[in-house]
Amino acid sequence: MAARLTDGSPRFAHQSEAELARILDFYQVAWRYEPDLFPISWNADGAVVESFAPDFYLPEIDLYVELTTLKQALVRKKNRKLRWLRQLYPEIRVKLFYARDFNALMLKYGRLDFLADVAAMNGNGPLNEPAP
Amino acid sequence: MIHDDVEEVLLTDAQIRTRVAELGAQLSQDFDGRDPVLVSVLKGSIIFLADLVRAMEIPLSVDLMEVSSYGASTESSGQVRILKDLSRPIEGRHVVVVEDIIDTGLTLNYLLRYLRDKGPASLGICCLLDKPARRLAPIEIDYRGFTIPDRFVIGYGLDYDERYRNLPYIGVLRPSVYGASAAPE
Repeated sequence: MAARLTDGSPRFAHQSEAELARILDFYQVAWRYEPDLFPISWNADGAVVESFAPDFYLPEIDLYVELTTLKQALVRKKNRKLRWLRQLYPEIRVKLFYARDFNALMLKYGRLDFLADVAAMNGNGPLNEPAP
Repeated sequence: MIHDDVEEVLLTDAQIRTRVAELGAQLSQDFDGRDPVLVSVLKGSIIFLADLVRAMEIPLSVDLMEVSSYGASTESSGQVRILKDLSRPIEGRHVVVVEDIIDTGLTLNYLLRYLRDKGPASLGICCLLDKPARRLAPIEIDYRGFTIPDRFVIGYGLDYDERYRNLPYIGVLRPSVYGASAAPE
């Protein structure tokens, strides 16, 4: 059966990442947390100036998953990075989960309590986040 | 009235009836002489299953399974569990999993692994609703009723907090029901 592949307990950048990890564990889908760093821009000397590390890699599915935060500016930045990533590495598959996707997932699982906690931390009302 | 909580009717009773009849006819043709077992997952699929099998005109068997859901089970084992297993072996049988909706595909992905281990002759998937927007697990759907947008849908077996399964159509739940002022699209 599938098992968590990341050694120990990773330090997640956001509660929603920890929650997604719990969901993947629950459904026995193997995952790694930020296992790969993809350079996406270089300076004139050829040094990497910007990289993108998708939050999760699901090796059995061969899929990277990236979760966005609730902040609109960060969503735009992430969308731009993702476009570059897809152009530079067309062979990799990345799924971007916006806050609205994650919220809908929580709604489906009846985890409105979790959403309320996250919303309170972010100063937003439940399920009322900006669109990408 | 439960209809008051519906923001929009996505698929009418008539649309569903027509499509289910088409799916039943297709399955009857494809599984003629193969005595398939239709395995449905409680509880959301029961109404679809009931209508689907009545649209089929070949000998078949029906079995039911129930799988724990993430939100309801986070306090227990922390892992998905089979709450109700098959009542008969499926080894060597042609199995069609009948699902109401495929969203992330995580539940079905687990279920397919479980069923493959039981050694069926074939394993197909028939779903009424395919919601691909948030798909994580790659699922190859053999028989698809409708592809729907990323909305929270209820009715025709699908629930929110165990309600609305008895709506005869597929509707979009009004966001105010779950405490939001805007739909999660």
